[in-house]
Amino acid sequence: MIDEQVDEVLKRVSRTAHEVEPALLERVADSIHSSLQPVRPLPPTWVLTGALVLICAAVAVAGAARTGFYGIEKLTVLERLLIFTTLGILAWVAGREFVAELIPGSRHRLSPGALLTIASVALLAVFALLFRNYRTEHFVSAGIACLVTGLLLAIPAALLSWLLMRRGFAVNSVSAGLVGGALAGLCGVTMLELHCANFQALHVLVWHTAVVSVSAAAGALLGWALCEVA
Amino acid sequence: MARYQAGDFPAATALIQRIGPQLHRFFLAQFSSRADADDLLQETWLRIHRVRHTYRPGEPVLPWFYAIARRVRIDHFRRASRTTARERSLEEAPDVAVTFPREEGELDDLEALLAPLSESQREVIRMMKVAGMSLEEVARATSSSVGSVKQKVHRAYRNLREQMSAPGLKKGPSGGLP
Repeated sequence: MIDEQVDEVLKRVSRTAHEVEPALLERVADSIHSSLQPVRPLPPTWVLTGALVLICAAVAVAGAARTGFYGIEKLTVLERLLIFTTLGILAWVAGREFVAELIPGSRHRLSPGALLTIASVALLAVFALLFRNYRTEHFVSAGIACLVTGLLLAIPAALLSWLLMRRGFAVNSVSAGLVGGALAGLCGVTMLELHCANFQALHVLVWHTAVVSVSAAAGALLGWALCEVA
Repeated sequence: MARYQAGDFPAATALIQRIGPQLHRFFLAQFSSRADADDLLQETWLRIHRVRHTYRPGEPVLPWFYAIARRVRIDHFRRASRTTARERSLEEAPDVAVTFPREEGELDDLEALLAPLSESQREVIRMMKVAGMSLEEVARATSSSVGSVKQKVHRAYRNLREQMSAPGLKKGPSGGLP
């Protein structure tokens, strides 16, 4: 038996008309009649994605303005270009996927897991390429301070992103939370790159990159909790 | 759909008449009884109505409907599992699976044919053959990539080929298959 024959069999058996009680369809129509008002469709994906990236950039700059631009001052032009271009591209990709998560039937170019992996690997690659100081002074204390700072900044970024996308509808709350958390985490990393002047390779590789993973995990957990409550 | 978003009731009714039976069949195929499928259809339309602004004109409409229907179905299963677990702990009953027996004669030819496939394989075949969706549309509805849908279809066809080629299984569920 070949695929065409299987196809033919499937076509034949699926042609059977499915009857639904007309009264049921009438009940459905009646149930929406009273609240049938005109609605404004959501803007195109690129507009929402652009707005999300702008929100993340604004929150990161505001956070760095409050804590000081010590990191970016010490970076060379090439380092700035490489780090912030990578972060910009990742934020755009994460923003687009976040929009897709909140609009049913959208095209998904990446799974949430793939997005998180790509973001983490890209950041690790750029940081490993640029930072060659392998000393580990105050590795844990300085690292935890950066992780907490990054995560604290991810909270307003996540809240503002949710505010922008509040009219959306997540068909999978866990995935939406994970992608939203990753986007907010990227905002936290951006702020750390503007602010943190500790260029020890392991510090940046471990603690700065961890902001994205921890934030994504927190987002997924929140999505799961909301789903359970609902 | 654009007219439905503009508040046009006849357009909304036409959409319900057109898409309603497809969604009902989608629910009925998921181990649900007809009463469950009726409830799920109503719940889905209420959800569709509440989030109708998330559809953007120009985008394929079927993936949008099916993505919402899948979400409603998952919520339903989750609620049913929770209720069953609670009842079981209260009654200390022996292990009973969460099943939704359907009425006699409701398992149609397609479902009988697809029975040996996994749930995800059945789902993509139903969307493609019953709803007439393309690979791209199924990928959108199931929030997955086209590659992943292709793989599921390929595996489903392989299983169906084996099943139909097996000796003694040449005849279909209603006797009408080769």
